Amino acid sequence: MDPSALKSPELQHFLNQEKERAMINEMVGKLTSACWDKCITGTPGSKFSSSESNCLSNCAQRYMEMSLMIVKRFQSMQ
Amino acid sequence: MDSFSSPPSGTSSQFSTNDIMDQVKTQLEQAYAEQFLEIVAEDIILTLLQLSQTVRDKCFDKCITKPGSSLSGSEGSCISRCVDRYIEATGIISKALFSQR
Repeated sequence: MDPSALKSPELQHFLNQEKERAMINEMVGKLTSACWDKCITGTPGSKFSSSESNCLSNCAQRYMEMSLMIVKRFQSMQ
Repeated sequence: MDSFSSPPSGTSSQFSTNDIMDQVKTQLEQAYAEQFLEIVAEDIILTLLQLSQTVRDKCFDKCITKPGSSLSGSEGSCISRCVDRYIEATGIISKALFSQR
C-alpha cells in the first residue's frame, strides 16, 4: 500500500463510516447510563416493567429532542 | 507482473528490482493489515472493558446496599439480573433512537 492509497475514496468512506459508528456507540452508552439512573429506581427485576421500558425510550427520545432545541436556541442567538 | 513478456535473465537488472519492490510492497501490505487487525481487537477489548466497568458501578449501587462479610446469594442474583437489564436497556435506548426517525 503506497501512501497515496490513504487518500482513496473507499478508505475515506470506510473511515467516515467507522467514525460515525463510534459516535453512535458512544451516544448510546452515555444515554443508557443517564437514563438507567433516571428510570431504574428499584432493584433490577427479572424483567423490565412496562413503565421502566417506556421511561427508557422516552428518556432517549427527549434527550435527542432537547439537544435539537439547544442547537436551535444557540443558532437564534447569533 | 508478467514474467513472460520480458526477455529471459541476463540483462534484466530492472526486472529484479521490480521483483524486490513487489516483495516489499506485499510485506508492507501484510504489515498494515496485521496492524489494522491489532487495532480493531484492541478497540473491542477496550469497549468491553469500559462497558463492564460501567455495569459494575451501576450494579454495585443497586445490589450491594449494605456490604456484608461475603456476597450473599440474593446479592449474586441481583447482580446477574442487573447485568441482564443493563444490556437490555442498551437495546431499548438504541431502538428508541433509531426506529423513530
